[in-house]
Amino acid sequence: MRKLPYILPLLLTLLVVGCGKQESDLPVNTRLGGEFTLTDHNGEPFSQSQLKGKVSILFFGYTHCPDICPAVLARVAQVYRKLEEAGEADQVQPVFITFDPERDTATHLKEYLPWFKADIIGLTGSLAEIREVAKQYGVVFIKDQEEQDYLFTHSDYIYLLDDQGRVRKLYPADFTIDEVVTDAKSLL
Amino acid sequence: MPRACFNALLAGAVLALAVPAYAELTVSDPWLRAVPPVSPTMAGYATLNNTGEAAVTITGVSTSVAGHTMLHNVKTDDDGNRRMVHLHHLEIPAGESVVLAPGNRHLMLMKLTQVPAPGDTVEICFHLNGGQDACAVFPVKRASQSDG
Repeated sequence: MRKLPYILPLLLTLLVVGCGKQESDLPVNTRLGGEFTLTDHNGEPFSQSQLKGKVSILFFGYTHCPDICPAVLARVAQVYRKLEEAGEADQVQPVFITFDPERDTATHLKEYLPWFKADIIGLTGSLAEIREVAKQYGVVFIKDQEEQDYLFTHSDYIYLLDDQGRVRKLYPADFTIDEVVTDAKSLL
Repeated sequence: MPRACFNALLAGAVLALAVPAYAELTVSDPWLRAVPPVSPTMAGYATLNNTGEAAVTITGVSTSVAGHTMLHNVKTDDDGNRRMVHLHHLEIPAGESVVLAPGNRHLMLMKLTQVPAPGDTVEICFHLNGGQDACAVFPVKRASQSDG
């Protein structure tokens, strides 16, 4: 019993560490990401720093895209719903950045995105602003001028950002929903 | 009308109903991905089966809900970027099937005149070489985890 005064602080320390936030195994990607300011779907300026404090699922696309982009939006919405069921959706923010500002105005994004019921923030801006953000994330988009209703050749990665806005993982467009849910939870 | 003529007409009508007009191309597992009501485009998927003994070529696609309907393919270039390619013709060899799936070959409905909602159905017709049409009813579905 005489050892108890010495052991008790150690036990308490272990208890505090054990119950504290677990560090995620996901490495920080230092080559991608960074600060940016665009315009959100309400027409207000939106800076990347506003995402800090939440885990973000960030992806690029355009609303006239018939196949890949709606599929990605639907899958992100499924991730969101799974986090919602787990009571953790309020700590995760999906963000859609258009690379078609000509057609994807703030007004159009505000009409388009709520249908997915995933609290998605839509971001648009000038083409120059969007090009700069795309460059930060290694995103390529090329407007196909041949078609009357133009399409884009584009990369389609999805980015998981931690609560400090750092890129922690990239996923292909056909990502596994449970994988993103698990990874997002590991960053909470 | 003489009874013999009436019988002949009746027999012809019954025969026309009994023999599928589009025996060479059948469409299985058709569906359209539901999109927001303000969406200008949507995509369709199915398996196209050539059950005939000769190759069949799809030369066009149409539906009443879209001003422009096309067959597209998604090509991935060496850098991993994805590009849409308009398929002006799609040949399906005899006895073979072609799958239209997300991120792959698919139907692209553009200039939507109305955006069908989940649960709605839309008839889509494939125009074949030789002048025939093969039409199928596509239900509109929200995405599921298994749709790729």
